Amino acid sequence: MLENVLLGFATAVSPENLFYCFLGVFLGTFIGVLPGLGSLAAISMLLPISFYLEPTTALIRLAGIFYGGAYGGSISSILLNLPGTPSAAITALDGNPMAKQGRAGVALFITAIASFVGGMIGVVALMGFGPAIARLGLGFGPGGYFALVLLGLVAAVTVGGGSVVKGLSMTVLGLLLGTVGTDVTSGEFRYTFDFVEMRDGLSLVALCMGLFGIAEVIGSVHQAGARKITEKVTMRGMVPTRDDVRRSYGPVARGASIGGFLGALPGAGTVIAAFLAYATELRVARDKSRFGKGAVEGIAAPEAANNAAAQTAFIPTLTIGIPGSPTMSIMLGALMIHGISPGPLLVTDHPDVFWGLIASFWIGNVFLLVLNIPLIGIWVRVLQFPYKYIYPVVIALICIGVYSMRTSLFDVGFVVVFGALGYLFQRTGYSAAPLILGFVLGPMLEENLRRAMLMARGDPIRLVADPLTGSILSLSALLLVWAVFGAVRRLAHMRRLAERPSENPAENPAESPSGEA
Amino acid sequence: MKVMSLRLVVAVILALIGVVALVLALDYEMGSARRMGPGYFPVVLSAILILLSLGEIVASLLRPEARSIDWRPMIMILGAVTAFGVTLYLFGMIPAFFAVIGLAAQSERHFGWLPALVLAAVTSLGAYLLFSRFLGMTIPLVQFGP
Repeated sequence: MLENVLLGFATAVSPENLFYCFLGVFLGTFIGVLPGLGSLAAISMLLPISFYLEPTTALIRLAGIFYGGAYGGSISSILLNLPGTPSAAITALDGNPMAKQGRAGVALFITAIASFVGGMIGVVALMGFGPAIARLGLGFGPGGYFALVLLGLVAAVTVGGGSVVKGLSMTVLGLLLGTVGTDVTSGEFRYTFDFVEMRDGLSLVALCMGLFGIAEVIGSVHQAGARKITEKVTMRGMVPTRDDVRRSYGPVARGASIGGFLGALPGAGTVIAAFLAYATELRVARDKSRFGKGAVEGIAAPEAANNAAAQTAFIPTLTIGIPGSPTMSIMLGALMIHGISPGPLLVTDHPDVFWGLIASFWIGNVFLLVLNIPLIGIWVRVLQFPYKYIYPVVIALICIGVYSMRTSLFDVGFVVVFGALGYLFQRTGYSAAPLILGFVLGPMLEENLRRAMLMARGDPIRLVADPLTGSILSLSALLLVWAVFGAVRRLAHMRRLAERPSENPAENPAESPSGEA
Repeated sequence: MKVMSLRLVVAVILALIGVVALVLALDYEMGSARRMGPGYFPVVLSAILILLSLGEIVASLLRPEARSIDWRPMIMILGAVTAFGVTLYLFGMIPAFFAVIGLAAQSERHFGWLPALVLAAVTSLGAYLLFSRFLGMTIPLVQFGP
């Protein structure tokens, strides 16, 4: 174990890797700061540039972008109340009031420290449990895998709240889009419309850029122009009072534990972690009235939680090959582009990749801290720059990024189609995250189902009779029933309240269409 | 004319996608539950999608929601991406940047053409340095005809 950790650090500390880690954190924060864009957009836009790097270096850079993007999202949500990601929306609940009271610096400082501590706790969990879960994963047959993937998909729909029907339609649409291209088993072309370009399937980056990038920009063009930052943020203004520090210990510890646990579950992700951490603080607080008006606990807990969750989300992604969020799907895609298939064998076959990545998480988090506290002035100035001069460039970067992935004009066309669909989905409360998950996990789901049914001789009863498969499948069924039941109860509740639809994404983070940090 | 519910429109789009997917998938070999052909999974999925969106259609007819679309940015930005593709194909990367930035900027009324030109010039220079010089990619910068 110690030997492996040392191997990891030896890989990550090479000057080249350090440079790319730094670059990743810097670029990620830059894109994350832009209103409406979070780490998913940052990763998708910068993915093509990583093709030219060594696999480990590329991953280290991507991990840097991932953290940077998440922190950048918090900056824009605290200062502008315009969160780039749903998990940052929870930070905005108390962060933005703090900024309005002239304590933006303190809010940003607490965010940085809480993220750092949460991230570190998450990495320790990843180091401790990752290899063990990988060994567990080795015992899974096709039936078990099928059930596990299905559980991840169902969890992504049900745990997030919002409409189950809408969530499931998005999942199924994603699964269908995942079948486009050559069928692995029979070699038949499905939904290719006789285009050679379609035989390899749709591009994940084009899908993400359309559904998240383009759709988010369309949605934020008018919103962002209307808001101005008036607060001044200086390094001196970032020093918290003794009272702030004292209040933060408990929330950070609780937030990190909640986040660390939830992040490891497939489909739960950082949004739920941040949300539950906030709810927990609200429950344990003696004076509940302070929340929503700039309580330090209200930033410390969700930030620690979503960063811990972001770390432990790598557990299912790396060790079983089942990503829990769209961002993880992109990471998984990046791994596969570099010829590494995540799964139980990754830890044993590519220890340098696995442990190098983990070491880079440490380094990336440290960079994030040393970069963002001194550079906060720059990020604030980026935010003060009129948005109307930024978004056209963002659109141009999305275009060239998607095109350069496969030098395919076809993919640019798909960005237009998915951009239009994504904007419509966003306006009507369909979340695109389950769609991306379905798209990525679809081929895995189908292949394992086919194999499992072959082994069960076409008898579904025999498939369910396997104790492992059966219990995971019944867990998915339970989740679904629980969610439908919850939806029915909520509907009755809403009728009583005479529903008022809310247009502000900060007010209903669970229904916000963008991905998660 | 009554304003159409956006929720209904999206549900109908999803249902149509499901129907098209189902019709196409019927051409692929179904196979059996034991030996699933390439058609099995898509047929099941598109059937589920149709059922789910039918549910949404009914729900949105019962409870219409007032949601609107911001037409100007939507048309301009989608048009900008389209223009990028077409211009890149015909004239190369640099003109494509001017096309996409010029059009995307028009999402904002009163943006003005001069700031858009400056933005496009700066972005082109940056992209040239990053993609052509630093990464050594071979995207034609300027060309005439495909």
